[in-house]
Amino acid sequence: MPLIIDQQPVQQDSWTYLASEEGVAPDLSSVADSSDLLVDWSCFQQCKEQLLGRSGGLGVRIDGFANLDELSCDLDQLSLVAIEFPSFADGRGFSQARLLRDSLGFAGQIRAVGDVTWDRLRFMHRCGFDAMEVSEDRYSEDMLKAFGEIEVRLQGAADDPRPIYRQ
Amino acid sequence: MYLYNEREQQLIEQRVEQYRDQTRRYLAGEIPDEEFRILRLQNGLYIQRQAPMLRIAINYGLLSSRQMRALAQVSRDYDKNYAHFTTRQNVQLNWPELEKVPDILADLAKVQMHAIQTSGSCIRSVTSDHFAGIVAGEVEDPRPWSEIIRQWAALHPEFAYLPRKFKIAVSAAEEDRAATQVHDIGVHIVRNDQGEVGFEVLVGGGLGRTPVIGKQIRPFLEQQELLSYLEAILRVYNLHGRRDNKYKSRIKITVNAMGIDKFRELVEAEFERTRGGELRLPEAEIERVKAFFKAPDYEQFDGDDASYLSELEQDKDFAIWVERNSFAHKVPGYRAVTLALKALLKAPGDITDVQMDAVADLADKYSFGEVRSTHEQNLVLAHVKQSDLYSLWKALSELELARPVVGTLNDMICCPGLDFCSLANAETLGVAEQIQNRFDDLDYLYDLGEMKLKMSGCINACAHHHVGHIGILGVDKNGESYYQFTLGGSAAEDASLGKVLGKSIPKEQVAEMLEKILSVFVEQREEGERFIDTVRRVGNVPFKERVYATNH
Repeated sequence: MPLIIDQQPVQQDSWTYLASEEGVAPDLSSVADSSDLLVDWSCFQQCKEQLLGRSGGLGVRIDGFANLDELSCDLDQLSLVAIEFPSFADGRGFSQARLLRDSLGFAGQIRAVGDVTWDRLRFMHRCGFDAMEVSEDRYSEDMLKAFGEIEVRLQGAADDPRPIYRQ
Repeated sequence: MYLYNEREQQLIEQRVEQYRDQTRRYLAGEIPDEEFRILRLQNGLYIQRQAPMLRIAINYGLLSSRQMRALAQVSRDYDKNYAHFTTRQNVQLNWPELEKVPDILADLAKVQMHAIQTSGSCIRSVTSDHFAGIVAGEVEDPRPWSEIIRQWAALHPEFAYLPRKFKIAVSAAEEDRAATQVHDIGVHIVRNDQGEVGFEVLVGGGLGRTPVIGKQIRPFLEQQELLSYLEAILRVYNLHGRRDNKYKSRIKITVNAMGIDKFRELVEAEFERTRGGELRLPEAEIERVKAFFKAPDYEQFDGDDASYLSELEQDKDFAIWVERNSFAHKVPGYRAVTLALKALLKAPGDITDVQMDAVADLADKYSFGEVRSTHEQNLVLAHVKQSDLYSLWKALSELELARPVVGTLNDMICCPGLDFCSLANAETLGVAEQIQNRFDDLDYLYDLGEMKLKMSGCINACAHHHVGHIGILGVDKNGESYYQFTLGGSAAEDASLGKVLGKSIPKEQVAEMLEKILSVFVEQREEGERFIDTVRRVGNVPFKERVYATNH
């Protein structure tokens, strides 16, 4: 799937995603121990010890219902948090990203997944997402213009905490 | 009034171009309908029954004469030579073409106007007291604070996809003209025991399907932390508000389901974390914004103007208009004038391009070039010299903007209803006409005293019928418009929700029903009592008995 990191398209995604099926954790051995592995919240909870013992990078994918407090104590073990946007109308992920960056001080990659399209890229960036995964049919080089459509920021956010009167 | 600096101007211009490109991509089939719906709503564009409708922001109801002329111009260039003022102090064009909307917005941007967040599930334009800055006893002018909130909310990256729409109102006077208790957040500017000015914050009020009076979440908030606190409320709502059912997604439902204490706990925890940070308002910024709202250069008068007093004496019609349609100004020798957009047989809030241009000229001549819109769908010239009132009255009479009905039954609030709105279940404009025809005796209306009649064409309650002294809700019964009455609502400082009187009635009986209600009022009323106070004293029962009595 096309991936944008730091406002640029990247060809290689080092991460492999393994999803649980109906609450049953996937077979972790299908991915090499040294490669970067992204798992969902249910798998992370069930196999935490095994996951933390791997040598590759570890990422967790959460949805809008996730309680970030439960994630906070393991945050320094994670290199990636993927936040899922279930639809174009759902904006919980924006607040989750801001809490991760501003409140919990997470410095790893925050990746937007799910319903990720042109018209929300700028707000995602402003809220602390540095990576966006876009579906093949909605991706175009043109969409990178999104980041520069509006150059004025009235209020502070994760990209720059200063409101316009402090800039 | 507030003027955008170069960067703020750049923002609204870039927003127009962003929307122009969104429109282009939509028309090219690159954006699906459902996504474009959300994008256009965030920019005030509805698709209505007959045509798109564009809602243009008038922040806290403040317009310059130049902006008023620009509205007249766009109504000529892109619409049918009229516009409609709404219950949230905004203005709507009813017939724009979707393809032309970016051009309309570009024209409006030239006079610092826009349609940012006038609709959609985001923080809507901020409303306030239409007599802000001119009422005696106001703690502080609420407009600078409304502007500070507007700037924070405009294109806020975190809160553009909320569970549902979010409305904030600010008020600073004893009389609440901004309906703050029925907003998602109501901000009251108050003074504490130490004499410091800050805010009482209400949360979770609203109308619509489930009307709720807002609850106090914080009795006193320090001025500088206004934005940190608002951001904390919005963040908690964005994360916890329901998204599975649009009828349960407003913050009032979140607050009621969780309980105000639990909700407060979450907000306060978030506030504790962020207070004192970058969102804290520096004194210099507060002063900078306040400077834009300095009082105009009033002339000094000692007491009342002699010619004005003799005109009042000599011309009874003028005196009636002054009594009904003008309001005391805190500066001696001045009054505020309400221009009633309640012409006989016209939709409440409608105004033609010719009238808009003329109002702009009158504002320049008599009121420092400033016009205000009210949540009761009227306009206000806020600073008129007593000595100018007579000539202003003559001019407004010619424009049909001087009907002396402000505060009466005929000053009703009414949504556009079935004729224009795709959400509506019932007609409203024809019913308004029926009521105006029946109650054309102004002396009778004056005898009835203060009366707030509010009529909505559907349960979304755009005309705030729950908080009308008399509320009328249009419903659909097998394809016919029926009307349900509520009595005893108020949006003012004594806010309450009206109680349903009984079963709904067909369209042709509405005026007759009102007549019966009013006859009970006249019988039950104690000397000088307002309708709402009589209803509160005697309850719905005497009214119910009369209006639903079977004919003998």
